[in-house]
Amino acid sequence: MASVGMENTAARSGREKGSKPVRLAPNYWPFVIPALVVISAVIVFPWVFTLWMSAHRWTLGQEQSFIGFDNYIRLAGDARFWESLWHTLLYTVLSVVAPLFLGTLAALVFDAQFPLRGFLRGVFVMPMMATPVAIALVWTMMFHPQLGVLNYLLSLVGIGPLEWIYNQSTVIPSLVLVETWQWTPLVMLIVLGGLASIPREPYESAEIDGANAWQKFRYLTLPMIAPFLMIALIIRSIDAVKSFDIIYAMTQGGPGTASETINIYLYNTSFAYYDIGYGSAMAVIFFIAIVALSFVLLMVRQRTNWSEMEER
Amino acid sequence: MASVNIQNVQKRFGAVRVIHGIDIDIQDGEFVALVGPSGCGKSTLLRMIAGLEELSDGEIRIGTREVSNLPARDRDIAMVFQNYALYPHMTVKDNMGFALKLKKAGAEETRAKVDRAASILGLESLLERYPRQLSGGQRQRVAMGRALVRDPQVFLFDEPLSNLDAKLRVQMRGEIKALHQRIGTTTIYVTHDQVEAMTMADKIVVLHDGVIEQIGAPLELYDRPANLFVAGFIGSPAMNFIRGRVEEGVFRTGNGLTLPLPQSANPATLGGRELICGVRPEHIRAVATGGIEGRVELVEGTGSEIYAKLTCKSDEIACLFRERLAVRFGDTIRIAIDPSTVHLFDIETGKRI
Repeated sequence: MASVGMENTAARSGREKGSKPVRLAPNYWPFVIPALVVISAVIVFPWVFTLWMSAHRWTLGQEQSFIGFDNYIRLAGDARFWESLWHTLLYTVLSVVAPLFLGTLAALVFDAQFPLRGFLRGVFVMPMMATPVAIALVWTMMFHPQLGVLNYLLSLVGIGPLEWIYNQSTVIPSLVLVETWQWTPLVMLIVLGGLASIPREPYESAEIDGANAWQKFRYLTLPMIAPFLMIALIIRSIDAVKSFDIIYAMTQGGPGTASETINIYLYNTSFAYYDIGYGSAMAVIFFIAIVALSFVLLMVRQRTNWSEMEER
Repeated sequence: MASVNIQNVQKRFGAVRVIHGIDIDIQDGEFVALVGPSGCGKSTLLRMIAGLEELSDGEIRIGTREVSNLPARDRDIAMVFQNYALYPHMTVKDNMGFALKLKKAGAEETRAKVDRAASILGLESLLERYPRQLSGGQRQRVAMGRALVRDPQVFLFDEPLSNLDAKLRVQMRGEIKALHQRIGTTTIYVTHDQVEAMTMADKIVVLHDGVIEQIGAPLELYDRPANLFVAGFIGSPAMNFIRGRVEEGVFRTGNGLTLPLPQSANPATLGGRELICGVRPEHIRAVATGGIEGRVELVEGTGSEIYAKLTCKSDEIACLFRERLAVRFGDTIRIAIDPSTVHLFDIETGKRI
């Protein structure tokens, strides 16, 4: 144990000076190897294999051949790819903004004291626990233009009928509605946690300083929960950009290609048209886009985190 | 600046009454300390003046305005909290300028007022820092700066020095007092520390269980405490209280210890009644001959003074000697008490006779 401790100290001091890379003592390896094996098998290998496939003409049932960057060049001129990119962007922005706005509003409501608060909060978070495919089936029935309950409800207030997911112009907002219904509770929980952790004393100061309710929200609550909103934003953005199950179960990218996101397009390319090489190239570009998005969001999060500001 | 008039103010939390009808008149520019032990209602009273607690009954006036039902933001007061209550996500500059921002003051005016307050409090080099980057004393100054830029009619302080260490507390005490002398704004200062109240205030209000025990100037409270509570609360170490009766022109305890009577006391009217005699430890002198003999049970020296507890005929008497006496545990010494410094209290009512 003593030798491990000494190695550890040496490694740390080396890291602090930034002189030498960390060297693990031999007795560390038994702890590290299982994780390395798992990570190599489920993350590194598929990733490297995808890269390798993307550099090949690889259609199932046909001979493979190395084509270098041809799949990427083909992607740049593929109008359907750009269209799916636009759908992904639109779907992501809407499915992030709507739950973020509604979740924050819900958190402010549930932060107040009122009768049956705990019970209602429990009911509110239930959508989050449901299986996406089951949700998709239920909402597909609710969206049905003739038999669906949504058009019936709209008819009560003299609106509609709408075609929901069966119309090219309303399909993405309809899918976003499902996504919002399911994931607003998650944002609510994150923001509610944030609200519970912010200090209460500054509100009395603000009261004395002359702030009204809106100014207290604008200048105190909002900036103080900003780090939590950023966490919700990051989780929702990454989740929404990768969204597949609900879209596939409800529309499979249709009508036509009106709700085809990159995920659906690359799935169809790889597993409907069996063009594995081209699908892999799409996966690589998509992966790089997600990493870039995460990086940007993490950078923004750093700037909003007032509780760590002294470290900057 | 303005006067503050508090009339029959009461506060109830459900069935529990914490403030029982308080009346205080605070003159324009006066520094008033609300002092009392924990739970006496001093902070609640301050919060009612601030508008952070509703009044159950009574009336508060600031200047000529009745403010009892006005929200805090409309009372034109500034408050410094015990925990400072700074805005953690704002820099010192933004913390201090926040009230002006809400008032939609111009950038130039805000900067000028913040700079002025910062220079008064020595915060010029800290304006771009966040509260978490400051020490306790610096945060306390920022909280004061925030109050200062408001230029309010009344300053309210809610135990602002409680979270500071002893040395810094003494320093900040002086700074707050100097600040008041410089700007002259009416100030209400809540503290449980009677030394703070004595050193800073023009007038002290002693509260106990939601009732005013005495209002007066610091020395008035020290020299002529209205009752046993004030006598015991004001002064450190606390006053000695000894039970006994007035017999043959002296005060005699059950153990046979005799103490001088105050010059104002009339033995004829007090004769036979059981009373409490109060003597401050610092009013007891060590003498070579005569006086009262006592055995030393405890000695604590601080360098500038010696605190000793004596047993005099089974009665315990605490003494504070300014001179350097070579006394040790177990020694027998003699003490004398100046009759003009002795107080007598009625045992039934607790009032000073």
